[in-house]
Amino acid sequence: MKNILLVTCFIVTNIFANNYLFGASIGVKPVDNPLYLKECGSCHFAFQAGLLPSRSWTKMMKNLENHFGSDASLELEDQKYIEEYLTRYSADKSMEYKRSRKIMNLIKNNETPLRITKTLYFMKKHDQIPTKMIQQKEVLSLSNCMACHTTASKGIYSERAIKIPNYGKWDD
Amino acid sequence: MKILYIFFMSIPLIASDSSFNQEMQEYITQLKIEALKIDKNFEDFDMERGEKIFTTKHLGKRGKEISCTSCHSINLMEDGKNIFTNKEIKPLSPSVNKKRLSSVKEVKKWLRRNFKDVFVREGTPQEKGDVLYYINSK
Repeated sequence: MKNILLVTCFIVTNIFANNYLFGASIGVKPVDNPLYLKECGSCHFAFQAGLLPSRSWTKMMKNLENHFGSDASLELEDQKYIEEYLTRYSADKSMEYKRSRKIMNLIKNNETPLRITKTLYFMKKHDQIPTKMIQQKEVLSLSNCMACHTTASKGIYSERAIKIPNYGKWDD
Repeated sequence: MKILYIFFMSIPLIASDSSFNQEMQEYITQLKIEALKIDKNFEDFDMERGEKIFTTKHLGKRGKEISCTSCHSINLMEDGKNIFTNKEIKPLSPSVNKKRLSSVKEVKKWLRRNFKDVFVREGTPQEKGDVLYYINSK
């Protein structure tokens, strides 16, 4: 009984520690894979695996030659390794994280979104932002997380960490 | 006298290769063999041809007119920026960024991808060598 209590305590503390860092809520598991960070992060923000379901990553990784209009092809070995990483920590497998859970809750079973920006949860969270704030040269598009979410690379997308270039804080 | 002549004549050839590390030199040699198979008059790669390839605009994979310099900027010693994602790109020049042109695996990957993105086709062995000479000279 004492053991069970201890183990439960340990698990709860762990989940708490995983989700909170310096008081800010970690919404999605931060990227912790050097190869993924290097290969994918050289062209764009290294989106966390927990922002899309497993089936989305699988589909995306099969067509890197045509990756949203660019050739992002990798050696087969690296491609397989990164696919394994992304599908292991995908949104459907990271439901202890708030953002992953909320993204998954609004994706239909028969849907395989390839763009994070086209998931319903993402769209709902960004639909009030005026186009001029997005299309300015410092931001360019909604897929440029770091332009406004100053702590995005830590997996923290909280409102108080938002700073829109040339406009400042964002209030819902 | 003849020996001396051969010695001096061979200097530029050695010099153009010597700033590459060993695995890169081997890759350059391999590209030269392939280039020679395609064109029996092929002599050596040329940084001026490379510069032209690097700076000329083409209708790219996304249907937009781009050149290598669109993202890498015209000054290879400075940072570039991916024009589609806004992601910063570290300088291409090996003189300021030691990592550049040091790994054959990396070089092959970027040549393959970027020729496809800008020219919508793979580069020929000669084009690849020309571009590598150009970047290496910066």
